[in-house]
Amino acid sequence: MKRRVFSAMLSLIFVLTMLAGCGNTSVDKSQSTEPAKTQKNISGEKTTSTAEPVTVTYALWDSNQALGFEKMADEFTEKNPNIKIEIQLNGWSDYWTALDAAASAGTLPDTFWMHSNNFYRYASNEMLKSLDDLIASSDKIDLKNYPEGLVSLYNYNGKQYCIPKDFDTIGLWYNKTMFDEAGLEYPDENWTWDDLYEAAKKLTKPDKSQYGFLAPLHNQEGFYNFIYQNGGTVITPDKKSGYDDPKTIEAMEFYIRFVKEGLSPLIFGDAERAEAMQNGLCAMGFFGSWNLSGFAANEYMAKNFDVTVLPAAPNGGRASIYNGLGYAIAPNTKKLDAAWKWVEYLASEEGQLRQAELGIAISAYKGTADAWVESNKTFNIKCFIDMLDYAVIRPYSNTTAVWEDKVYEELRGAFTGEKTVEQACRDAAAVMNESLAQER
Amino acid sequence: MIDGKSKSKINEWLWGWFLVAPAVIGLIILNIIPAIQTFYLSFFKSGDFGRGNIFIGLENYKKLINDSQVWYAVRNTLLYTLFVVPVSVFLAAVIAVLLNKNIKGRGIYRSIYYMPVIATPAAVTMVWRWLYNYHYGLINYVLKQLGLNPVNWIDDPKVALISIAIISIWSTTGYNMVLILAGLQDIPTVYYEASNIDGANAITQFFKITIPLVSPTLFFVITTSVIQCMQVFDVVYMMIDVTRPSYDSTVSLVYLFYNNSFKYLNKGYGSAIVMVLLLIISVITVIQVKLQKRWVNYMG
Repeated sequence: MKRRVFSAMLSLIFVLTMLAGCGNTSVDKSQSTEPAKTQKNISGEKTTSTAEPVTVTYALWDSNQALGFEKMADEFTEKNPNIKIEIQLNGWSDYWTALDAAASAGTLPDTFWMHSNNFYRYASNEMLKSLDDLIASSDKIDLKNYPEGLVSLYNYNGKQYCIPKDFDTIGLWYNKTMFDEAGLEYPDENWTWDDLYEAAKKLTKPDKSQYGFLAPLHNQEGFYNFIYQNGGTVITPDKKSGYDDPKTIEAMEFYIRFVKEGLSPLIFGDAERAEAMQNGLCAMGFFGSWNLSGFAANEYMAKNFDVTVLPAAPNGGRASIYNGLGYAIAPNTKKLDAAWKWVEYLASEEGQLRQAELGIAISAYKGTADAWVESNKTFNIKCFIDMLDYAVIRPYSNTTAVWEDKVYEELRGAFTGEKTVEQACRDAAAVMNESLAQER
Repeated sequence: MIDGKSKSKINEWLWGWFLVAPAVIGLIILNIIPAIQTFYLSFFKSGDFGRGNIFIGLENYKKLINDSQVWYAVRNTLLYTLFVVPVSVFLAAVIAVLLNKNIKGRGIYRSIYYMPVIATPAAVTMVWRWLYNYHYGLINYVLKQLGLNPVNWIDDPKVALISIAIISIWSTTGYNMVLILAGLQDIPTVYYEASNIDGANAITQFFKITIPLVSPTLFFVITTSVIQCMQVFDVVYMMIDVTRPSYDSTVSLVYLFYNNSFKYLNKGYGSAIVMVLLLIISVITVIQVKLQKRWVNYMG
């Protein structure tokens, strides 16, 4: 009898394991059924372009934004009943691994997001569809309607490969309740580094249950902002590391000072940064505009937090790292008509306005920013758009993803106190220059 | 007559190959060809998206010898294996022997111990990451209640490898237990009955009967565990980012291979790293197979 119970349990376990396996492959399954549909589509295209139902895949990496895009995809399918959008969601780093493998195998998703870190690799290897002809023949898309910096970011050798999707800047998030408790005034546009430092001191509790500021080992939502505010640089125009620039080192010293003086917890992991805010561990922190929907959905943050522009450097220098994503189409897609229709909709004024209204991201299309500001009443998010006046594009080169990691490895020691900040910056400059020298 | 005999032999031989063919073909396509390709790739500087590879001879290996991170990874992988295998096999053996006894509800116990094996490593690690969390984790909470200092389980370079090893032990012990249990059930009860008559106690029985007769299973469990441990990746990948101070003291060879191949897109260098792993595993396995004559008893 007992043996029977055991074997029953075991078989249950095996069934569960197999189910788990099925769960993992469900995404693949939908992909493997695609070729059949695709072929139908080719034959259908000759007669009428959208007679047969088509499924367009759309790959992205942000689970917060995916929710909004599901809504947009449904609305799009309502108007174009023959085109279904299948959203493929992956985490940030898995996204690039999967996209790289798919590109090598020639099975890229029909439409996907592109980032400045990886754009060069994909464009220079013809892994993106050149959109020039499509844009020229479209009455909905005119590149003049997007920020020039973002348009040129996704232009390689004079050809346009992506249409700007959105832009983002970094803001100073602060815990109003903690400021009230400490009897401090909320940060505003007049703040400088000194105000940040003094406030952090007053907001830090001696028993370490509350820290004034969050200074994690993170570039875009951390020290990059300080470096550019101080007039330093991460990468020079002639593609050399800027980490050994005295202005950069000065900024890094100021940034890491928060950790050294115990005004910031020592935080390294990516997920732990937001946790530190959401659990009331830190009173202030730098976070990008793309966190908005996630932060608003968090009860504690919605109740206690607000956001403002970044403080200026002592010399008055202002900066906020800005970047933007692009919509891309696979060069070998067999459903080009449908894929373009979807991207055209997303990038058009109508789609961008909808993206802004839904609060998914700050749309790149000129004049849609107000709709984004209106989308969220929880926080004072207009500051993200105000900062565009002095925003600095996220430093990049042809192999950004490689040297960013190497630099992290070198800078780590400055945060743990193993090396001086100056030494860490010089080491970072050395590995970064070595990496840059290998770029073709 | 002679013809007929050799004919049937050939027939038998063909049938044999036919029956093992699926396994052999699978091995060749999924294991052996990729292994050879990886070896081949380790002599190239790889181009983007698998195109435009440039032959550079032994450059990757030269670079590897001077790369301190590779040596950290070798050290971490070996330390991890040295910690996980003995503890996991010992625990599995003890639990298997206990659950081989006629105790109440042993089916439920066996299932409980097997449960961690079926959970996906990613989910397991996510849960453990919360347990280990420095500020809000359950383990540190308990430590604080006991008046002890909290431990930085994930970020402290001295502790992180052990934290990872604990997760692995927790999740592999059940699998090893089932194998050993199967080995134990193969031991005929007559041996125990006979030794009872001769007046042997439980401890003598364990060392003189159980261990020798279960040794082929133990050998299998140890050898496969070592190979599996040397390939540790998922737990480290899920728990430790490049940004963490414990990265250098936890990075495993496969993690380093992954980072170089898929993150830094240098598949040639990644292949060279994984060749080092292949070499180490081969050497250890050969030693183990040689040593088995000294302690493994095959019945009959």
